[in-house]
Amino acid sequence: MKLIEFSGDHLDVLRELMNIAVGNATASIADLLKAFGTMHIPKITISDITGLKQYIQDTIPSENSHYVTKQLFGGPLGGEFIFVITDESAINFGNHLYDIDAPKDADIYDAVIELTNILSATMISRLTEELNVKVQFFVPSTQIIKGNNLIDLDEAQGYAQIIIISTQMEFQNQNINGHIFILTKDAMIQSLKDLIDHKLEELYA
Amino acid sequence: MTKPVDYPNILLDALEHGVMIVDEEFNVVYWNQWLEINTGHTYASMVGKSLLTFYPDIDYRTLQRKIRTTLRLNSPTFYDASLNNRFIPIPRNKITSSVLNTMQLQVTISPYVVDQRMVMIAVYDISDLHELKLTLQQQMKKIAQLNVELQHDKQIIDDNLLIVKTDGEFHIIEVSKAFNVFFGFEENELIGWPLQIIYSDKTPLSEYTHMKKTLQDLERWSGEIEILSKQSKALWMDAVVTPWIDHLGVLSSYTAIYHDITDKKRLELLATTDPLTKLYNRYRFDEIFDVTLMREHWKTGDSFALVIADIDHFKHINDAYGHQRGDEVLVRIAEVLRRTLREGDTLARWGGEEFIFLLPHVDALRAILVAEKLRVAVEKLSLFVNVQLSFGVSLFVAGDTQETLLNRADTALYKAKENGRNKVELL
Repeated sequence: MKLIEFSGDHLDVLRELMNIAVGNATASIADLLKAFGTMHIPKITISDITGLKQYIQDTIPSENSHYVTKQLFGGPLGGEFIFVITDESAINFGNHLYDIDAPKDADIYDAVIELTNILSATMISRLTEELNVKVQFFVPSTQIIKGNNLIDLDEAQGYAQIIIISTQMEFQNQNINGHIFILTKDAMIQSLKDLIDHKLEELYA
Repeated sequence: MTKPVDYPNILLDALEHGVMIVDEEFNVVYWNQWLEINTGHTYASMVGKSLLTFYPDIDYRTLQRKIRTTLRLNSPTFYDASLNNRFIPIPRNKITSSVLNTMQLQVTISPYVVDQRMVMIAVYDISDLHELKLTLQQQMKKIAQLNVELQHDKQIIDDNLLIVKTDGEFHIIEVSKAFNVFFGFEENELIGWPLQIIYSDKTPLSEYTHMKKTLQDLERWSGEIEILSKQSKALWMDAVVTPWIDHLGVLSSYTAIYHDITDKKRLELLATTDPLTKLYNRYRFDEIFDVTLMREHWKTGDSFALVIADIDHFKHINDAYGHQRGDEVLVRIAEVLRRTLREGDTLARWGGEEFIFLLPHVDALRAILVAEKLRVAVEKLSLFVNVQLSFGVSLFVAGDTQETLLNRADTALYKAKENGRNKVELL
């Protein structure tokens, strides 16, 4: 498969759109969940599946257990949104959201899902809104994974090219931090490139 | 209250899942037919009322937060579908399994009319999927428990049994911890070497070849074998070697399990050998004669010879040089005889200065030649005194017993002595 190349302009636009999306996400979380935090400037990398596995291993500490929530989004721009949070952060967040000392497992799971909902909705919606397309969100699922082996290479070998958009969020007061990965692949990368081209035409028209 | 008939509502009623429309304060605006049927609450009884009235046990704080998030972001929010249902309880009528008494719901809260603060809550029955997942989890738990037990058993085996695993070419691929400890090897020291490396050279090549042949025929081999420790200490092992066949019927490896029988062999040796010459004793010779050779002979119709040898003038050696030197003569002669015999022949000390031999697969001429070879070997022995042996040979004929054979050999020996000693006579 011929690899799709992104120019510096494409990456600049994507980076700028993601900066706006991250700002939106932070504001929404503060508003809806009363959690005040910061999010790092997103990193954008184009890789293959092996590179993605390595990237995740370099980013996520191997010694913790993590709540890993995956949510698919479909439409002209489709992909997978992954939110990774350490079990300690997840408990702290459940604690914050449900205002109880010892949140039940179900409370923690739901808290993580709620946080993922807000992050995915704000970040992806903002991005797609800027690109004038609509997306559909699918039901997210959460699982606890020991270590950082988030990608099953045997099951994910079909992808030639993957865009990784990653950022880190921190809520100092609640002692919470998590990592976000937005992944899109192959045909969707071409679609994203076309949408950015369209955006560039709009900007320079 | 009568339902207004309009197309959007007809559509909602036609859906094969539950749909309700509620506002931010949980007041019900629409309750579709699926919910009517499955909850038992009618459209008329629900619309205009708060969910709180009918379902007071829901976590309304969470629900409100999710509704607000939906309205604020104009995007759907979800309950975690992997957990036990946290939304309204809906009875489930499945009779054939009783894991779930209420439906497991997948709940999606979508924006409906945002400026009127209304959302649409869709509930999907995912009970069958959830049941499957719970069953799978239970099975996985059982497998995990079995795995732990298996690991425990494996650990016990590794710590206590002497096991060596080889590939199809008899190269060592795995060695148990107990084997390494018992024989003084490091963890991976034997890996890659041929299996033969651990066997002492006392194991006859024919035995090793027989073992390989049996295993290559995909049959189990068992027997006694001597193994050398790293410090070259020889230890006798009872061995069972099993070929492993994979699911395609192809040989994949061999597993050898050893059991230390060194003490048993030592006792056996004490019971069956003469302590001075280390040759078989009379008891062992009788055993071999009765059980093995006679039976084999009748089976094959082959012939064999019995030979008795006596040291000439041994009394004189004892009298002239003392019993200690006499014993020395016995030991040296025993060594020479053992070295000179063919593989498969049996030699024992018959008593005093007498030795006895079983020579299988011989005729009269061959038996005499063997005895003559033994006589010459002893004659050439360089000792503090010249020693010679006289031999009496008897050849098995139909109807012979051990007694008749022995009598003839004894008579032949007597004849050899009569004829001047240092001779071989056949009768």
